[in-house]
Amino acid sequence: MSKLECTHCQLDFDEEVMIKDEEHYFCCTGCQGVFHLLSDSGLDGFYDKLGSKKLSAPTHTFEESSSFDTPGFYEQFVRKNDEDFEEVSLVIEGIHCSACVWLNEKALHKLEGVIDVSISYANNKAKITWADNIIKLSSIIEMIRSIGYNAYPYDPSVQEEKANKERKDFYLRIVVALFGSMNIMWIAIAQYAGYFSGMDREMKTILNVGEWLLATPVLFYSGWVFFKGAYFGIKNKVVNMDILVATGASLTYIYSIYITILQEGEAYFDSVAMIITFVLLGKFLEVLSKKSAADTLDVVSRHVPNEVNILRNEMLERVSVHEVYVGDVIEIKPGEKVALDGEVIQGEGYFDEASLSGESHPIFKKEHDKIISGTICIDSLFRYKVARDFSHSTLSNLVSMLENAMSKKPRIEMLANRISGHFSTLILFLAIITFSIWWFWPHSFDRSFMVGISVIVIACPCALALATPVATLIGLGLGGKRGILFKEASQLETMAKTEILILDKTGTLTEGKPKVIKTETFEGFDASLLLALCASSLHPISQAVYAYAKTQYEKYETYTLLSSKQVPSRGIAAVYEGKKVLGGNAQFMRENGIDVQVGSEYSLFFFAVEDQLMACFELRDKPKEGVDELLQICADNKIKVVMLTGDHKASAQSLADELGIEEYYSDLSPEDKADFVQEHNDKVSVMVGDGVNDVLALAHANIGIAMGSGSDISIDVSDVVLLNDSIKSLKEAFLISKRTFRLVKQNLAISLVYNMITIPLAMAGFVIPLIAAASMSLSSLLVVGNSMRIKYKWNR
Amino acid sequence: MDNGIVIMMIGISLLLGAIALIGVMWAIKNGQFDDKDKMMSSVLDDGEDALNEAAEKERRKKEYRTKK
Repeated sequence: MSKLECTHCQLDFDEEVMIKDEEHYFCCTGCQGVFHLLSDSGLDGFYDKLGSKKLSAPTHTFEESSSFDTPGFYEQFVRKNDEDFEEVSLVIEGIHCSACVWLNEKALHKLEGVIDVSISYANNKAKITWADNIIKLSSIIEMIRSIGYNAYPYDPSVQEEKANKERKDFYLRIVVALFGSMNIMWIAIAQYAGYFSGMDREMKTILNVGEWLLATPVLFYSGWVFFKGAYFGIKNKVVNMDILVATGASLTYIYSIYITILQEGEAYFDSVAMIITFVLLGKFLEVLSKKSAADTLDVVSRHVPNEVNILRNEMLERVSVHEVYVGDVIEIKPGEKVALDGEVIQGEGYFDEASLSGESHPIFKKEHDKIISGTICIDSLFRYKVARDFSHSTLSNLVSMLENAMSKKPRIEMLANRISGHFSTLILFLAIITFSIWWFWPHSFDRSFMVGISVIVIACPCALALATPVATLIGLGLGGKRGILFKEASQLETMAKTEILILDKTGTLTEGKPKVIKTETFEGFDASLLLALCASSLHPISQAVYAYAKTQYEKYETYTLLSSKQVPSRGIAAVYEGKKVLGGNAQFMRENGIDVQVGSEYSLFFFAVEDQLMACFELRDKPKEGVDELLQICADNKIKVVMLTGDHKASAQSLADELGIEEYYSDLSPEDKADFVQEHNDKVSVMVGDGVNDVLALAHANIGIAMGSGSDISIDVSDVVLLNDSIKSLKEAFLISKRTFRLVKQNLAISLVYNMITIPLAMAGFVIPLIAAASMSLSSLLVVGNSMRIKYKWNR
Repeated sequence: MDNGIVIMMIGISLLLGAIALIGVMWAIKNGQFDDKDKMMSSVLDDGEDALNEAAEKERRKKEYRTKK
């Protein structure tokens, strides 16, 4: 059989399964539809841009798009912009490359009524502006779907917008500062040359005026952040680095103007521009590293459903969750998330409560059972009566508790901040002393003022300001490459000081899903039948057996089972060609008259045909690899390790014994976990977890680390995200933070030693402008160079 | 060297530099550098398209506003 490429998605398929359409071949009607749509609307340039990249085939199971036009939806996601047009932020699914972005933008531009579409290459987020009186949002989303992508809205958080604005503001200031100081350098070269070879006074003044013009915007526009910082520092009676930078730069500036006008001595405009530029660069690096980690993840989904289907006067209506009252009846479909707590009045089936309780098995619910918001309905249609309104339901309670916890999160003061406070006070004090001594030791005011200022100028906060940000930025980059996302640079330092490590069990230390570890088959075993039986259930055990069997037995046929029935917390029963087929636990087998031996501490799955045992599978939630090494590192660094779990004691104990964790607590609720973390807040704590049940604890810890496959909320509240879920990256996160912090300390030491040498020279009046400028650049270069070593030495 | 020429040269180069700087600042404020990857790859599909689109966008804005 020859393989052919589908014209649209370019995936390979066997020729016989493909749809032939003139000279093109398609793998499915979806691809065919998209292809014709594109060529009809003149967008087939897409395929040239696409090159040889593969797409995923378009799918066709979407929820009703008309729900995008409801007032509730508009209220939450759609905003009016300044020009009175509607604006929405969407995440577009299925974007693979720049050609996809091009196609989406072009296709939407062609729609009458759409004003502007801009899609980000980095995170597939789109911002669409349209005129609502001409086109509805649902038609826009229909368009995106018809060309083979899917879109869903997200709420661009206020924080994200603010961070973007701050970044842009800094960017502008940096551009001005760089422009100013680079051009001053050109003029300064002429001046330094003149300093040695002789230059007449008039020429000097001309060059000084040129520098003056360039230094002014640098000091007042770019340096504005320091004046602001100094103002807040004085207001709160704290001497900070900003005060040192602001006074140093502005005093030097005033002095240089004085020199220029008097036409004698040397002006220091170049130092003014350089101080501002270097320190601003350090601040900018810090702002740059404050990235929301959720931003980097491909998919951002809604945590809380905002609309539900409710039954009013025998009709289904889609309303906002806020308009639902106690006693209303809600209908929920398979795959939907429950928004409000309630009691089932019709239907029975399974619910996934893993995100709330950490319980990995689906829970069976029937009439009169309670259902909790945040859980997901797996397999059947339910109707339930609302017991608590939205603001009192479990999920929204959790969200508000979280907000509370986040505001109380303990922060550790950074080493550099502490040092720079003392440093600034000392330098200002020394400058005043120097000035007074020179002034009373009869010297001219000019001379003593200049010496006093030279102390401030040479004290060069540049290296000090760059010490932390450069090192942490390199640490962050290193982590990023290894799938460890730190949301803020300061977290590297906090993590390096960890004293207690708290680990969640399910999903963090273990895989979170059962896997087959042992198999036993008996005569007459038919893998195809087992596969057919397991495929009929969504229970994790049968899914695990299914996944295992599929890889194990390559040759199988597809059987159709008759009357497959699921027995809650027992197993599955079905009929195939008149034979009774059973799959389930030991209890289920015994109830059906099959005697089985149970001799394992893990879950067992039995498979029987017509009262004859065919196979037995042993399953367990395996611990992840690399726990030993992590524990070793913790022991080396005297970090206490504690395991917390919502599971029962026996399973916690067996895992703890196996891994060698001495301290563990079981049967904990999410609140218990949070309490435990809070009790240990006197130490620097790191909490690692994945599910919604860990969210509160993550928020309370100094550093919350979430697994990338964990729930969205846990990723949101945590400070560090491990994208590949492995314990190995947790270990690496520790190593990177330790190493980064060590280099930060080295950098601070370098800049302090530098100052210890140069400041006495300045106080003695030996400093000429050339030395000041050279020492400033050299110390900054040393610090930057030293930081590079983080990467260089990383060979483990 | 005549001082006047030096003044003139510094003055002109500062002026030209300032114009370029204002241009860059305008572009940053306008959001042209917001998406690094997009900026880089838009060089590859350079053409009239982008200009036409911008003109079309302005036309539509005007049209829809009058309809309101």
